Formats: sequence, structure tokens, C-alpha cells
Amino acid sequence: MRRDAIESSILKIFAEKFEIEAPGVDDDLRDGYEFDSIDAIELLHEIEILLDTQLTRAEKKNAMEIRTINQIVDYAAALAAARCQTDSAGPECLSTTGQ
Amino acid sequence: MMARRVVITACSAITPIGRTRAEIVRHLVEGISGVKPLRNDGLLTDHIHSGVYGTVDYPIDYDFKRSHSKTMGPVSFYACQVAKETLAASGLDPAFITSGRLGVAFGSTHGSPSVQRNIYKTFFSESKQQFASIGAVDYLKSMVHTTAVNITKMFGITGRVISSSTACTTSSQSIGFGYESVKYGIQDAMLCGGADEYDTTTVAVFDNLLACSSEFNATPHLTPRPFDVRRDGLVVGEGAGALLLEEYEHAKNRGAGILGEIIGFSCNNNGGDLILPNTRGITDTIALALKDADIGPEAVDFISAHATGTKMGDVIEAQATGSIYGKGPVVTGLKSYMGHTMGSCGAIEAIITLYMMAEGFVPPTLNLVEVDGRCAMIRHVQHLEKKTIRIGAVQNFAFGGVNTCFILKKIDT
Repeated sequence: MRRDAIESSILKIFAEKFEIEAPGVDDDLRDGYEFDSIDAIELLHEIEILLDTQLTRAEKKNAMEIRTINQIVDYAAALAAARCQTDSAGPECLSTTGQ
Repeated sequence: MMARRVVITACSAITPIGRTRAEIVRHLVEGISGVKPLRNDGLLTDHIHSGVYGTVDYPIDYDFKRSHSKTMGPVSFYACQVAKETLAASGLDPAFITSGRLGVAFGSTHGSPSVQRNIYKTFFSESKQQFASIGAVDYLKSMVHTTAVNITKMFGITGRVISSSTACTTSSQSIGFGYESVKYGIQDAMLCGGADEYDTTTVAVFDNLLACSSEFNATPHLTPRPFDVRRDGLVVGEGAGALLLEEYEHAKNRGAGILGEIIGFSCNNNGGDLILPNTRGITDTIALALKDADIGPEAVDFISAHATGTKMGDVIEAQATGSIYGKGPVVTGLKSYMGHTMGSCGAIEAIITLYMMAEGFVPPTLNLVEVDGRCAMIRHVQHLEKKTIRIGAVQNFAFGGVNTCFILKKIDT
């Protein structure tokens, strides 16, 4: 999954699930949009659905310091890339790191 | 021990017979029932004999931010709406609301059963995502104290939290414990009440105990029938009620409108069976409330009876009530209009009693056509009466053998 596709999907999730429309990609989500730890847990569930995978506890803990859309997209892109390295690479993985 | 006067300065309700004072009073005066056909839940309704429900069937315009609503199940939507309206009507200074001098006493029968039902669905789901579908939010939406803490969150309330969950006495305990918190100087004000959402689990429980009405499914407005010879059980309902209890001097000094005063409260237990009504337990709780109010039974003008419409519950309540009051005060079973709104019934019945005090009338017990001889020792109301109520008592009794009674007094302003 390409990074721009991930960003588009994350922004769609924010609009539909969190009622946060078009946040700046470097805005602090907690300060600017009251995006709290409960929302973060919900977002991780959405990322699991998006990537069709299950996150490990360590991966979830790594997400707790994330504050911006850019950081979320980087996090999800890294997860997607890691899955492609460990799984038998399918066609989607060929473009995982595409910019 | 410090004992301060406690007054009610604002209230709000969501009931099967309307939201506003005017709408609720209109239903009472015109004898209009809020009991409707039980709507299908796709799970239990086909197996339940009772086909009636005290239904909130009008839209409610919630205006909650997502940061608030994200932790709310339907029961908390009800609770936060009546809390919001009560605080708005009170005119309390926002600084007071967040000062720690205001607490919350609010509960429900069992949190949000619809959210709990969704959690259980995941156990039987084929979805690959089921592993992650039960989250913190589901707990926050469904936990037993979800109403109380969603209220504290929404308004930044930092005082004490009491979240009773004692079925039919939930909100009367909220009012009683809130009253004691203010009376004894622990808080200067308490936001009290209860809520319960549409739920067929409760119907199924009472239905299996043969305690639900099932003979009037085709004519829902004719049931429940408290104290009537043709009564065949209770009707479960939904709703919410909130009251702001405030220390009298605090209310007076800020120029608040005073709807009434709480002058007594009691709560006891039957000390035995968890289901059967108990004459001794109910008689004792009535006597204890009068003692707390320091009045005799002759001072009470009106009794809001628990009066669910069950075969034995109404008889036991009538006998216990009659043993103390005789045929003195008039008695109405308000559940006859809306069914049993469970965790919210005490608050709703308190609010309606305040409306009756303000407007000087007593509605009849709806559907009470022929009084059961075993319930005849009290003064039933079978026709609308114009009457000044100076003191009214609200009685509620719950599974678990919990009994409550609180006494309201009209204040001339």
C-alpha cells in the first residue's frame, strides 16, 4: 500500500470515525482536536482493519507517543512494509514504500 | 450533626409521556398513556409474552460534541441530556459547577444493555476483526456508572460521585443519597437522577417471572393497571430524570427559583427474599422517612405509590401504606401512564410530584376502574382532582429487597 494511499485512508478515517475534517498533517491532534488515548486505541483498531493485520502489543505501545497525521501515516506505512518483509510478498507489497 | 435544608432548584425529564412540563401535565390531565407496542429487537421479542413497552417515541435533538459522545451509550445520551437541561435551568455559575462543591448521584439499572449486547455479538462473530472489537470505549459506554461519569466529564464536575444501581430504586437512592450529601454539609449541591434505555432483557426477566403484563398487547394504553382487579403485571419502560438539589441558603442567596424542598428520606432492606415484596420492610421505610422529616402521617397530602401493577406488589404496598396513613393522603400510581421506567422511575415520579405541587392537581391512577378489595385500605384517585399538595411522599421498591421513600414539601416563594 503506497504512502499516499495510506494518508488518504487515514484522513478518511479521521473524517468518518472521529469527525475531524482535514486536519493539518503536522497539527498536534491532542491539542488541536481533543484526540485522546481512547481515540488512539480506536485508531489502532482502524489501522488493523486497513492493513488487514493484527498489531502486536509492542507495536501498539510504540503508537502511544504519536501526535500528528504525518506520524500516523509513517507508523502505518512502516507496519505495512514490515508485514511485506515477513509475509510472502504479494503485488501490494511491491508498492509499499512508494512515495 | 450539621443538618441543612435541601431544596430542588431545577429538573428535567425524558419520559414516555413527554419531555416538557406542559406536555407531561397534558398527558396526566387528559389521561393519555405512553405505553406502546413493544418494538422488535431482533432477538428476544419473539420469545417474550409481553408485547407492551413504555416508549420514548419522539426525537431528541442531542447536541453533544464527539469528544463527549464517544464514551456514551444510549443510556448516557438520556442521562447527559436531562443533566444538561437541569444545569442550564438552574442558572448555576460555571465556576461553581467545577468547584468541587457540586457532586453527582446518578445511576441506571445496568449501564447500557445495547452496548453490552454488541459486545456479546463479537463472541459469536465470524469476523477476523473480532479480536480487537471490544475496546475501552465499549466499557466506558456500558459500565454501571456510565451515566454518572459521562455527566461529570461533560460539565467538568469534580465533586463526589455516587452511582447507585439498585434496579427500581436507583434514582430514588440517587435523590436520597444526594439529599444526605447536601444536608450533612458534604456537598453544597448534588445533581441527582437516573436513566434507563430501551432494553428487552429487563422485559424478558420480568416476563419469565410471570410479572409482566401480557393480556393487553392489543390495547397497550390499558396497561399497567395498578390496584385494579384486572391488573396482570408491570410494563417496562425507558426514560430519564434529573434534579438539582441545593443547600437552601445557597439557593436563596443566588436568587434561584425553588421547586420544592426535600425534608426526609429513608432506605432499608427487607433482610431476606430478593424478589417478594415485604409488608414489614415497606412499612418500616415509610415510617423511617416520616421520622427523618419529623412529621406525622397526617401531614402528607399525596403519595406517589411505586404501584407497578403486579398481582402481589400492589397489595403489599397498599397494606403497608394503609397501615401508616389509612385513608388520609390521596394515592396515585404514576407508572400507570408510562410503565416502569426502572432506574429513572424515582426521579421521574419526583419531578411529576413537583409539577403537581406547582399546578395544584392530582391525576388519577390510569386504568384503575375497579379497585382490588385487597388494595382498598388507601385513598385511591380515580378521577382528576384539583388539590393543593403541600407535602408529598414518593415510594419505590426494588428487586433485592431495597425500599426507599423520600418526602417533598412545597415552598411558597
